[in-house]
Amino acid sequence: MSIPLVYVVWRAVDVPLSDITAVLMRPRVQELTLNTLGLSLAVALTALVMGVVIAALLSRVRFRGASSLLLISALPLAVPSYLASYGWLVAFPGLNGFLPSWLLLTAVTVPYVTLPVAAALRGTSAEGEAVARTLGLGPLRAFVDVTWPQVRPAAVAGALLVFLYTLSDFGLVAMLRFETLTWGIQQSFAASFDRSQAAILALLLVVIALVVVAAERSARGQVVTSRAKLATREPVGPLSRTLALLVVLAPPLVGVVAPLAGLAARLFQAETLRDIDLSRLGLATAATIGVSVLAALVALAIALPLAALAARYSGRWVGALETLGYLPHALPGIVVGLSLVFFSLAVLPPLYQTATILVFAYAVLFMPKALGTARSSIEGVSPDLVNVARTLGARPLNAWARVTLPLALPGLGIGALLVAIATMKELPATLLLRPTGVNTLATELWSRTSAGEFAGAAPYAAILVLVAAIPAMILSGVRRTAKEEL
Amino acid sequence: MTTLGVHNVGLTYGSRTALSDVSLEIPSGSLVAILGPSGCGKTSLLMAIAGLLGIDEGVITAGHRELSRSGKRVPPEQRGIGWVPQEASLFPHLSVRDNIGFGLRKGRRRNERVEELAALVGLTGFLDRSPGQLSGGQAQRVALARALAPSPDVLLLDEPYGALDSVLRHTLARDVARILREEETTAVLVTHDREEALDLADVVVVMDGGRIVQVGTPVEVYESPATPWVASFVGDTVELAGVWRHGTLQCEQCGAADFCEPSEKRPGCAGHVVCALGEVAATAQGYQPADGDEVRVVVRPEWLAPGSSGIPATVRGVSYAGHDALVEFDMEGQKERVRARIAAPFLPSVGQGFQLTLRHPALVFPLPSEVELA
Repeated sequence: MSIPLVYVVWRAVDVPLSDITAVLMRPRVQELTLNTLGLSLAVALTALVMGVVIAALLSRVRFRGASSLLLISALPLAVPSYLASYGWLVAFPGLNGFLPSWLLLTAVTVPYVTLPVAAALRGTSAEGEAVARTLGLGPLRAFVDVTWPQVRPAAVAGALLVFLYTLSDFGLVAMLRFETLTWGIQQSFAASFDRSQAAILALLLVVIALVVVAAERSARGQVVTSRAKLATREPVGPLSRTLALLVVLAPPLVGVVAPLAGLAARLFQAETLRDIDLSRLGLATAATIGVSVLAALVALAIALPLAALAARYSGRWVGALETLGYLPHALPGIVVGLSLVFFSLAVLPPLYQTATILVFAYAVLFMPKALGTARSSIEGVSPDLVNVARTLGARPLNAWARVTLPLALPGLGIGALLVAIATMKELPATLLLRPTGVNTLATELWSRTSAGEFAGAAPYAAILVLVAAIPAMILSGVRRTAKEEL
Repeated sequence: MTTLGVHNVGLTYGSRTALSDVSLEIPSGSLVAILGPSGCGKTSLLMAIAGLLGIDEGVITAGHRELSRSGKRVPPEQRGIGWVPQEASLFPHLSVRDNIGFGLRKGRRRNERVEELAALVGLTGFLDRSPGQLSGGQAQRVALARALAPSPDVLLLDEPYGALDSVLRHTLARDVARILREEETTAVLVTHDREEALDLADVVVVMDGGRIVQVGTPVEVYESPATPWVASFVGDTVELAGVWRHGTLQCEQCGAADFCEPSEKRPGCAGHVVCALGEVAATAQGYQPADGDEVRVVVRPEWLAPGSSGIPATVRGVSYAGHDALVEFDMEGQKERVRARIAAPFLPSVGQGFQLTLRHPALVFPLPSEVELA
């Protein structure tokens, strides 16, 4: 798992120090860095504010169908950022620069704050606020003084995730021509094949990401969880309710509905439909599904032993191993892609630009998604059940196969699906590592859009939305049945 | 059939001592109850016997076979020791049939044995249900059948009725004890419920703070507790201050001498104690006080009875429990009060005057030492 990191460092260290400082001192590089940090900070702040406000509205104001509202507010998570920018570009081809990047990324990433804060709000009883009200505090003061301290860790952790997301984002900023480090890495790699500069920029990105992750770690672990109580939802007047509803729905409207509408409008124009190259579309779809399934299986195979260890044993070694497993989570896809390019060229040249290295890159990038769910589903199997199996004569591996595995299976399936969904949407690593001549839906969409062929990109975007929706639907089905069985 | 032996077993988790110098013999065919408050180490002891936990000191044996010692243990699947954990813990993905048959080899014998056990626990019609469709009591029965299926030498039950309501709990506990006796299975039952332990077990082991405080029959543990703590943990107590008197065995209060005789059932030193109840017959528990020593006197409420002779006392309050009542008495010229258990329906009312007699020798313990108090 640490191969990518080691390779980027090695590659960068390979370059003389003076060259590194020379690259870092270049005004262009400084501009890219400032752009990246500025955008990440701006998006994280707006997402933090909006996410907390939306979560508070969702849990404290009485809406009709409040639970489906929460689901709708999570929708932007299902759409890759570059699809949102594509959808807007279709309607307004002139969009570019900081402002649209900022707004769109905020719309796309707000759920990273909304969901954990809403969960934390569900955990904090509304009784504390009620007590504060009887002690003479107004509703706003009561929220700020009593509830906010309890949800702050969740909110901050969410905002840091948003920061990381923005830092790693490539497709959206590239389409909107806002030049950040990821864009710079891709440019220096693709255009000039200046690999040392790409490596140095990647290292810079990794350092920023690691600093943010370290901050996230220290903000974590303070989340107070208490028994969920039924929160009281305030009934409000029709005007305030409409206003609140608008705020709650703004991110999904901007990040999902509007782009999809743009996409649909372009897709169903007669000339677009006529120009669809069905065989090419079919190939890209097959490639996307194929690598996703493979990546999910490989990631699960890597995650399973790690998760089994982490779920059942604690200790410094196991802890370190698990942290190492989560590390790729913090690595931007373009960094992982780049480092695997270096790795395959230096160690196993025959692997360069093969499906094997591509699938491996996906597994490295998205294994943490499988690791988390695999770990928690194995942890969910009571050790008592395994102990009973042992006293009934089952050897450890036998007990694992007959008890732990069948019970953890739904969770493992969810983990694999999460990896498959993420793989389908992955763009920057795919651009770097895909075998020559192989295109996925994401790369077709990106190359056509960046060439200005919005109509040609439309069918790929549509199929991508559909294909990614299938595992998402399975996912909600699995979760529902898992809930029913409990 | 083998005797299970626990010899000087010690176990620590980091800095916390879970078991300390625990020794215990469990003869084959007996039902032993381990009784103690939560956190006393009883579950750790059970898991150590099952081989689910290693031990740091001592040895656990079955007959001449060594099962556990520090750094070494026979794995649980090779011990022939069955385990019924708290809250049934049925395998949720398997039917009742497959749960009961989990520890059996596949084949026709398996099905026969499963049906035999289902009949034994009274769940013949439930074999094809899933665990989610069972009530708490039914789930516990399946857990018992599952543990009995491979015919273990010893069965360990870890508070198996803890999650059930009290009525169900009582009938199920009696049922399980009957089944265990029918199957002639050696069983160790961990519980924090004193009534369960006194009612079902041949031998009661009282634990506190990772140590065994007393081992005895239910009668011994109740009537001759080793410490005041055991006395109050296994039943209600009235505690009084007193002064020990050697001398005749004749009780000056009641005039009777016979029940004051020390016997095998009542180890300890027989004598008299002067306390709020007057000078009454008493047995010192496990030690020999000197004449004139200050001592702790413990009596059980049901040992006190109102009658026509004895210490004058006035009813101060009645705590009604249906089948009987705990009646609190003020005693003439005394600051200490006593509680007597009086059977319904002829209950006294507040302010009524009685004379109280003690029908059983009082229990006498040394005063807590300065160290203990600190």
